[in-house]
Amino acid sequence: MAHKKIKYSIIKRRKMKKVILSITIATMILTIACNENKEKVSAELNEETHDHASHDHENTAKTEDRVIEASDMKNPASTEIINAYLQIKNALVTDNKDGAAKEATALLTAFSNFDMTQLTGSQHKEYMEIIDDAKGHAEHIIKSPIDHQREHFEGLSIDINDLIALVGTDKQLYQDFCPMANGGKGAIWLSEIKDIENPFFGNKMLKCGSVQKQIN
Amino acid sequence: MKKVFKRIGILLLIIFVGIQFIPTTKNESDAVLPSDFIKTFKPPENIKNLLINSCYDCHSNNTKYPLYNKMQPVSGFLESHIKRAKTELNFSEFGDYSNRKKKSKLKSILSQIKDDKMPLPSYMLMHKESILSKSDKLDIEKWLTELEQSTISYE
Repeated sequence: MAHKKIKYSIIKRRKMKKVILSITIATMILTIACNENKEKVSAELNEETHDHASHDHENTAKTEDRVIEASDMKNPASTEIINAYLQIKNALVTDNKDGAAKEATALLTAFSNFDMTQLTGSQHKEYMEIIDDAKGHAEHIIKSPIDHQREHFEGLSIDINDLIALVGTDKQLYQDFCPMANGGKGAIWLSEIKDIENPFFGNKMLKCGSVQKQIN
Repeated sequence: MKKVFKRIGILLLIIFVGIQFIPTTKNESDAVLPSDFIKTFKPPENIKNLLINSCYDCHSNNTKYPLYNKMQPVSGFLESHIKRAKTELNFSEFGDYSNRKKKSKLKSILSQIKDDKMPLPSYMLMHKESILSKSDKLDIEKWLTELEQSTISYE
């Protein structure tokens, strides 16, 4: 009796499997029909590069060097942003990943609090580009492990440095340079103290670097 | 006990069939934008193919969908995944990025490839053609580094 029951249930299970399989296949067939143009675009990309590769070389990697005119304005409007940046820097100096993430959130708030009405037209465009990029770095600092945070801090430092050049600050700052950061290509950071405290390596190489420039 | 399992099985089946009707929007467009990375920077043939095979499915406006995308919940998962990937980096719009952002993104692309973070292991599992060999990586890194240096300098 029991034996029969088991046999019966196996057959039943097989039946179920069949049902599931056929429903799966049916749904696949139903949805499969609407997908023909996927190869088209990649073909177009191929054509495009072949067509143009020969003639417009001047279009390759447009070099648009833009020199930001240094501002010696004693502008306190940038203070909240700079303070948040310096807090990220200090967290990285002490190898504090969570601290850096927390301060990067504060930096995002500082960006949205910044009063843009004082910016002129050309300043405004430049500002938006800097902030757009800096926000990207801050978002990665929020969610990344420390080595990745440091990579983004390199880019963030350039952005904040350019922001200061653009809008000015009333704070006294030091622009420091570490030749070993950025895969040996070197990178700058900003500090509120004259002593070197390296945020790219933290405790591993705390004293690596030198002051390049003093702001204010 | 068996009855319970059976009911759960049927319930799951109904849910599975039911979610097939959740619509998804496909990441496909007919035209290649002028801002497309390959159109803008014209990489050599091998680099171009590596980019298309390993990056463009998630980081551009055109995904070559795999067969398994025909079904929910896979298609829904892929949709949200691609959406996120594109906000991070969209090769179709790369030419429209500011020079500052271009430079940042190039640097990130380089470090992601170097650190084996991209392409995602789960993606490479399903797409053997996306796997980058050591020499592929070196080629791509070399070309991207040159490109990074030839675009805008910050100072």
